Amino acid sequence: MTKISTFILALLAFFVLSCAEDSADISAAASSGTGVGGSLARFTIIGDYLYTVDNTTLATFDISAPEAPEKIDETVVTRGVETIFPLKDHLLLGTQNGMYIYRVSDNGLPAYVSEYQHVVSCDPVVANQNYAYVTLRVSECREAAAGAANTLDVIDISNIESPNLVNSLSLDGPYGLGLDGNVLFVCEGSNGLRVFNLDDPESPEEIRYLNDINAIDVIPLGGTLLVVGTDALIQLDYTDINNIQVISVMSIGA
Amino acid sequence: MKITHWAGLLLAVTFLAGCYTEPVEIPEETVGLAPVYSDGDWKTIESQPPQPIIELNKIYYKDSLIFVGEAQKGIHIIDNRNPAEPERIAFISIQGNSDISIKGNLLYANNLADLVVLNISDINNVELVSRVEGAFPQSGATLPQGYFGFFECPDPALGTIVGWTEKTLQSPECWR
Repeated sequence: MTKISTFILALLAFFVLSCAEDSADISAAASSGTGVGGSLARFTIIGDYLYTVDNTTLATFDISAPEAPEKIDETVVTRGVETIFPLKDHLLLGTQNGMYIYRVSDNGLPAYVSEYQHVVSCDPVVANQNYAYVTLRVSECREAAAGAANTLDVIDISNIESPNLVNSLSLDGPYGLGLDGNVLFVCEGSNGLRVFNLDDPESPEEIRYLNDINAIDVIPLGGTLLVVGTDALIQLDYTDINNIQVISVMSIGA
Repeated sequence: MKITHWAGLLLAVTFLAGCYTEPVEIPEETVGLAPVYSDGDWKTIESQPPQPIIELNKIYYKDSLIFVGEAQKGIHIIDNRNPAEPERIAFISIQGNSDISIKGNLLYANNLADLVVLNISDINNVELVSRVEGAFPQSGATLPQGYFGFFECPDPALGTIVGWTEKTLQSPECWR
């Protein structure tokens, strides 16, 4: 592709994004809502409450008065709590031995709902109302158990009281993942980034494999994908899922 | 803590482990904990000019800004109004930081074991709104209670350890 057409594409992507994003002026007041983190996040905000995970513990902070936030709860979940994903009034915690689901009540306090157990490995989670997608990684994962495998697990959470494993796909060594409608992005570290179609949500179909980038975690922004790797921050345009284009690459390192 | 103590601990753990489990194999690369050494006043949080990204941690997105964590050190602010030309516009120094979340103009972050709330409405002059001391006890100065795994061996020459943070380790020689 010529430089000109790359530029035009980038320009196009910029305009598309500008339309989607009406908060383009940074000096203007930021929107009152929350931002969005990656699947490896350990902080999340729901309403007036900040939830944090810290190895074994889920902590709840009342932030209704930001000048005096108050820790109102500490719940020991299990060993090796790694990630936290907000799903409406639920929290999905990725831990080394499973996915734990808590419900948040009006007073902010989390209550245990259910869990999905798996062999010890490293595992962030993303979800929609009916399905949770969990990656399990053995490589570069301390304490990974014998018999653990590198997989993408599909868990039916339509009955949130009783999560149910419906599929498990073999992968190379997955890290973070991101969900946008019926598209699922799965990071494979130095092995690249996989893109799955979820038309059948129980059987993710791999439609693209970008093996020339390093991907640890992603944030899908409705057409633009932020990809964090160990060597760069890459932005991809996925408005046409069959023709994913690189918008920019910000290299890391002095 | 002196390094001899760690060596002793290491030795004891090795023997204990030898009794019950397979000897520990040191991986070439693994995720573990690394000490965070004090660098002046670790509670000082301030906006600084943009800096190169050295070690990328996590990212967070809000209102056309990308917040890029610099492992243990703080947060790079990237203006992403034009995703084709993302531009570093500031750096917020926060010692021992690993995670953030933002609501409105307020950024919540861990500053070692403390939770801090920052007003970021002026990204070039962030202001500390409040601080909850010891909010994250597991990020305290000693190796976190209940942590079993690899960690970077402490080096007393580098100063006081003010916390621990997750890090990718190359052939770590300390564990418990």
